[in-house]
Amino acid sequence: MRETVLSAMDKLYLVCIWVAGAAIFFMSLIIPWGIFARYVLGTGSRWPEPISILLMVVFTFIGAAASYRAGAHIAVAMVTDRLPAALKKFAAIFVHFVMFLLSLFMLIYGTKLCLETMGQTISDLPWMAVGISYSPVPIGGFFTLLFVLEHIFYGPQNARAVVRFDHDVDHGIDATTAAN
Amino acid sequence: MDALVLLGSFALLMMLGVPVAYALGASALIGAWWIDIPLDAVMIAIAGGVNKFSLLAIPFFVLAGAIMAEGGMSRRLVAFAGVFVGFIRGGLSLVNILASTFFGAISGSSVADTASIGSVLIPEMEKKGYPRDFSTAVTVSGSVQAILIPPSHNAVLYSLAAGGSISISSLFIAGVMPGLLLGLSLVALCLYTAKKRNFPKGDVIPLKQAIKISIDALWGLMTMVIILGGILSGVFTATESAAIAVVWAFFVTMFIYRDYKWKDLPKLVHRTVKTVTIVMILIGFAAAFGYMLTLMQIPLKITELFSSFSDNKYVILLCMNVMMLMLGTMMDMAPLILILTPILLPVVKTLGIDPVHFGMIMMINLSIGLLTPPVGALLFVGSAVGKVSIEALVKSLMPFFGVLLFVLAIVTYVPAVSLWLPRLLL
Repeated sequence: MRETVLSAMDKLYLVCIWVAGAAIFFMSLIIPWGIFARYVLGTGSRWPEPISILLMVVFTFIGAAASYRAGAHIAVAMVTDRLPAALKKFAAIFVHFVMFLLSLFMLIYGTKLCLETMGQTISDLPWMAVGISYSPVPIGGFFTLLFVLEHIFYGPQNARAVVRFDHDVDHGIDATTAAN
Repeated sequence: MDALVLLGSFALLMMLGVPVAYALGASALIGAWWIDIPLDAVMIAIAGGVNKFSLLAIPFFVLAGAIMAEGGMSRRLVAFAGVFVGFIRGGLSLVNILASTFFGAISGSSVADTASIGSVLIPEMEKKGYPRDFSTAVTVSGSVQAILIPPSHNAVLYSLAAGGSISISSLFIAGVMPGLLLGLSLVALCLYTAKKRNFPKGDVIPLKQAIKISIDALWGLMTMVIILGGILSGVFTATESAAIAVVWAFFVTMFIYRDYKWKDLPKLVHRTVKTVTIVMILIGFAAAFGYMLTLMQIPLKITELFSSFSDNKYVILLCMNVMMLMLGTMMDMAPLILILTPILLPVVKTLGIDPVHFGMIMMINLSIGLLTPPVGALLFVGSAVGKVSIEALVKSLMPFFGVLLFVLAIVTYVPAVSLWLPRLLL
């Protein structure tokens, strides 16, 4: 059972990473295309901007779910590191509880937001409902929720092969994508 | 009481180990519940927070910098810097700083700078007789330039946190002089240390070789020309220039330099997703937190609190610097920019301080925080790349902290250092 669940979660993790990766790939093509169309073809298209924003929402919420499983989120450990073992355990349970509630909030209220805005359309993309553009919020919330449950039942999974796939032997190279 | 609920719950959640982004979101929900705001409004603020075109510049700048850093750019920038300063006593330490200045012009990430320049130069410096801890200290302090010199995605973050009212172009141009001032101050310290500790001189590079090295590096440095040229001429917006920078970085790395293997690209994308999405979701949750701050009128209360201390803007700036330095020792840069900007900017505006100038003050303060224990991203990466203990690195960094605080004081109290160039060019 455990292995079946973890292997399914590995697949979900990879889906999140590749969906987010594809989003950033297409964003970096669409915007230069918009500039090319504006200056070279002389046909200022209106779609590159809203489509890029949609892809960014996909990148953010779907990618952040995978980042949670990878343990990449910035957290302050200087207090919990100094706590006695029993309190440390309590703090860990508390963190899971907060993460569970927040993911649930994203799922429920994100879905509500999507449904409420389904009737409106994006001005530059009349064929697209605003609700669709917000859909990565509840989907990302749902994936995060699954990863939180996985963490609660089976412990942290940030050392699994799929998660460590991008780590090179060279220690320094991991930090080249850092945002600081 | 409202402030206590919002800020207190955030501090408590964070201290208990909840990731900072989610702690911001959860405390915004607690705040909304406390003042009877429907949770739907919080959801709208989160979704709206990441629904901005200017935000796209952040993943693009990080990705462009990462492609360059992993694609052999650092080695070329080090060689290019060597042409100018390698032959001076203590030349390699100067090369280190100048290479970081160049690196800063293609990437805004000081951590990426330390990782890539450090892995090229620290072993070489050690081979030439420089102590490892000193070499690492030069690398990490030099890499702070990347945050100031454009393009800086932290400047984009500050502009967003300020509600988009401050132009990204002004912030980019404003960072040039403080960045160069920092570089020059570090050079002065390295020259003094080199003389005192008798560090070796390098060789003068023959003209023919120097030209070859320069042409090789210029392909990468064109990124800076594209970004700044595009923005200053009005041809591109900051976001568009960031996307062009990604395409250019990819072209130069894969087709001109050809050091990077195609099969490694998925790893780069994987890493970028993990490191950038945590900042992006932070922005979404910080937008909800900022929304609650505004509803609770906390910035107004903080302004009144600061005004009760003193009506002298220099004294208030000093208080803010101390506060930001202290917070910087405990937290990372991106969350602090997102949390502090909506709180402190109204105070600063009341005092008549230019928000662009304050942006530079904030960048330097929080950059210093990246070098200080207990939480300092640059310190950790520097210690790993340089293979020195955190303790030894902090000890070696002491004179560099002096230089950084000197630059902070100049940038804080001489607004022209930040504002002269944007006023001239924009």
